[in-house]
Amino acid sequence: MIEVCGLSKSFKERRKKARSLIGLLQRFRSSEKFFAVKDVSFCAESGTILGLLGPNGAGKTTLLRMLSTALKPSAGTANIDGVDLVKNPLEVRKIIGFLSDNTGLYGRLTAREMIEYYGKLHGLDSSRLHKRMDELFGVLEMTDFVDKRNDSLSSGMKQKVSIARTLINDPDVIMFDEPTTGLDVAAAEAILKFIESCKDRGKTVIFCTHHMHEVDRLCDKVVVLDAGRVCFDGTIEKMHKQTGQSRMDKAFLAVLNSGRAYNAA
Amino acid sequence: MRLNILTIYLKEMKEVLRDRRTLVFMLVMPIVLVPLLMNLLIGFVAKAEKKAETEILTYVIFGAENLPELADEFTNDERFRKVDFPDKEEIPAGIEQNKIRFALVIPKKAAQNLEKGEKVAVQLYYNNASLPSMVRNRAGEVIQRFENRLRSSRLASLGLDTSEQQENLINPITIEEKGTAKKREMLGERMGGILPYLFIIFCLMGSMYPAIDLGAGEKERGTLETLLLAPIKRHQIVLGKFFVVFTTGVTAALLSITSIGIMMTIKLKEISGELHDVFASISVVDLVLIAAMLIPMAAIFASLLLSVSVYAKSFKEASSYCGPLNFLAIVPAFIAMLPIVKLDWYWAMVPITNVSLAIKELIKGTMNYQMLIAILGSSVIIAGALLLFCTKWFEREAVLFRE
Repeated sequence: MIEVCGLSKSFKERRKKARSLIGLLQRFRSSEKFFAVKDVSFCAESGTILGLLGPNGAGKTTLLRMLSTALKPSAGTANIDGVDLVKNPLEVRKIIGFLSDNTGLYGRLTAREMIEYYGKLHGLDSSRLHKRMDELFGVLEMTDFVDKRNDSLSSGMKQKVSIARTLINDPDVIMFDEPTTGLDVAAAEAILKFIESCKDRGKTVIFCTHHMHEVDRLCDKVVVLDAGRVCFDGTIEKMHKQTGQSRMDKAFLAVLNSGRAYNAA
Repeated sequence: MRLNILTIYLKEMKEVLRDRRTLVFMLVMPIVLVPLLMNLLIGFVAKAEKKAETEILTYVIFGAENLPELADEFTNDERFRKVDFPDKEEIPAGIEQNKIRFALVIPKKAAQNLEKGEKVAVQLYYNNASLPSMVRNRAGEVIQRFENRLRSSRLASLGLDTSEQQENLINPITIEEKGTAKKREMLGERMGGILPYLFIIFCLMGSMYPAIDLGAGEKERGTLETLLLAPIKRHQIVLGKFFVVFTTGVTAALLSITSIGIMMTIKLKEISGELHDVFASISVVDLVLIAAMLIPMAAIFASLLLSVSVYAKSFKEASSYCGPLNFLAIVPAFIAMLPIVKLDWYWAMVPITNVSLAIKELIKGTMNYQMLIAILGSSVIIAGALLLFCTKWFEREAVLFRE
């Protein structure tokens, strides 16, 4: 379960290019901040899939980076399965998995070597690690290529290695950041099925995507971000009802537009 | 904690050793290039010396009839060959086009003037771009021979018959040089500058590619972000990576020392003269001390390169930052090659230059061991401070997630 409460992340404002030495100094001394994520709160129950939506630059990746403890929040907090991610980031990392569109593989290692490496970093003892590896290689049908170097694998195979890496610690909470981007139909379908299976196994899933048909198919609930703020938080049915749109893409645009109109007013 | 650092170190080493480019910089270049360069250098010096001694120099004399004895001196010397050359005005062009190596112009009435006991100016044209000039020395030697004979006959006509009487008149005071420097010190001073320069360059080159790959390369491939999500502290990640870059730098430096050591042992039988004396006087202890000097140097390079690499967003960006960094390492190493720069307490505190000078002193066999300890100590402190900076740097979100 994920409970997010007033989470914010600010960065130092980047001004326009400094035109003089004084301008350059001012740029370095600047204390102006902009919020990539501001006062975001929501909740995701175990055994559900939460869709995290928003246009480019809405703050989705920053929010996911905070939830995965890569970035420290500027304000607010979040509990992952009851563990405070600000106070105990290392504990949180033990119970989460993160999968992005960028497969992030070590090209000169084999799939087996890479999964073993992450298993060791997660502190799994040798027997438990090898049992878990065999289990994953079987479930993900990787046995034919586990001893090939990652560089020589197809994109579908690479995505499977990435999934195995994400699941080596058997995480209770899994975050997917645009996992189907750049994949062919078959590979994308395999990923979507895998996400569904996570839900069936009682995992908490955050699924970030731009493909609205995937949201429609997988998500129980959506959180829509725009300019770092939440402009919708609720079930898919609520979204359709509230916007009066039956198609997911149109409902999403309607949410964005109403949110922007509200802010402008 | 140690286990995590070791896990990262072993994994990174495995990747580094599977990378062809790293292997070239870390293993192939020190093992192959250093002996090759030294071989070429020794061969070139030997060939140049032989050529200087045996090459027949082509020349022309204008006004040979004015002083036939001098012209005969050149004609009778087998190391010179007179060629036909039409015009005195064309001498510079002739030398430039290598038709002649030098030209002598003897003024009119030279013999008569000498007969009268007057002074005669003989013009010697040659290419003075190369210093010291072989042509100037050899032609000058012949003229000097003729001059000595002439001087001797003039002095004899004044009643100074014996060569001792003549010598006492010409040089009433002579300087007997009693140099205190040992031969090794003298030769080490001349030739000891290039070796530390080579060692430092190889140490830097050995660490550069792995450092870029482990920082900016991982960022670009997206593997750094997944590594940051592993349940380990960030300083453990940076230490694991640091030790890999450090290992490759030390390996490259040690291999270059070893290959020079092996080459010296083999070449010692083949070479003779000054180079033989220098090589023969360098002991294994000296080589071990040289290696010890390069270890903190490798740590300094590893920390600096890793900091730069982690800051960069891509491999290309990191490579462009490493260019000026190369300059920062090469210039201080080069300073030690300058003859006016000597190892004293001032230079002992200048990073990189101090190590370079210390290696030079070790080759010369004149190392002040108190200074050696101070240099080692200061290098270790600088390396430690840079490693601390690198660790803190790596913990900054603005550096890791630079947009």
